[in-house]
Amino acid sequence: MGKSLMIVDDSATMRKIIMRTVRMSGLEFERTEEAGSGVEALEKLKAGAVDVILCDINMPEMNGTELVKQARQMPSCAGTKIVMVSTESAQDLINQVLADGADGYITKPFTPEKFQEKLTPLLN
Amino acid sequence: MITVVSLKDALLESAREVFETMVFTALEPVGEGTTDPGASPGVADAAHDLDKPETCLLGSITFKGQLEGCLGVCCGEPCARTIASNMLGLVSDELGENDVGDAMGEIANMVMGAIKARIQDQVGTIEVSIPSVVQGRQLRNSLGEGADLVKVRVSVEEQYQLEFSLLYREGNRT
Repeated sequence: MGKSLMIVDDSATMRKIIMRTVRMSGLEFERTEEAGSGVEALEKLKAGAVDVILCDINMPEMNGTELVKQARQMPSCAGTKIVMVSTESAQDLINQVLADGADGYITKPFTPEKFQEKLTPLLN
Repeated sequence: MITVVSLKDALLESAREVFETMVFTALEPVGEGTTDPGASPGVADAAHDLDKPETCLLGSITFKGQLEGCLGVCCGEPCARTIASNMLGLVSDELGENDVGDAMGEIANMVMGAIKARIQDQVGTIEVSIPSVVQGRQLRNSLGEGADLVKVRVSVEEQYQLEFSLLYREGNRT
């Protein structure tokens, strides 16, 4: 069965850029969806879990770290892989978000190769 | 204490990293206000574009911590459209209503993130805001005494000019 992907970022343009980069990486997803905030992402996850979430950190309304914490409390998201995509590169923050339940971290700017490197092990 | 020279280097290196990775183009530094008659007509025209605030887009992002201030990224609309087209893999006509402004905001966000990564050993934690984009050009000094301004002007695809302005001062003052 094909995998599903959700991209969470408050910038619609960045969501398109991430989607393009995922395609360029050669990774294939049968179903893709987008959310413009942590709140919208949680609503969509309640309706149906996805295999992978690519999630920004700095967002209004609900930031990415809060989304990770709340998603990890949802039984339907137990198997969902969450990878943060952010300009934030402080090691303390990365360690914290990984401790909160994220499965990986990609810093912006990113390349298709970086997506492939980080996502392939999570998809297998 | 971080110096103007090291910040200027960090700014240029960060801008180059972001443009090579996300915009798929190299940046070349040019002198401020370059209108060298020997330069290609496109570059001279683009410098003129930067001198007309009404045609410029300015992406900006603020930061606070041991260093506080604002990073601005400014260029004419044709340059901004080229950047958005390259980032999205679309031709100019296919760009959505908000794509050009959003792309400028993301450039400011990513360049500031890359600067932060380069200077955080010297200045510690810096907190960065969400980027915003306006039509205009001037990044005015609202930081008061002790503020410095670093400017780097670059050419984009040998056709356009784009200017980065980093206004800053040492933060956490009591």
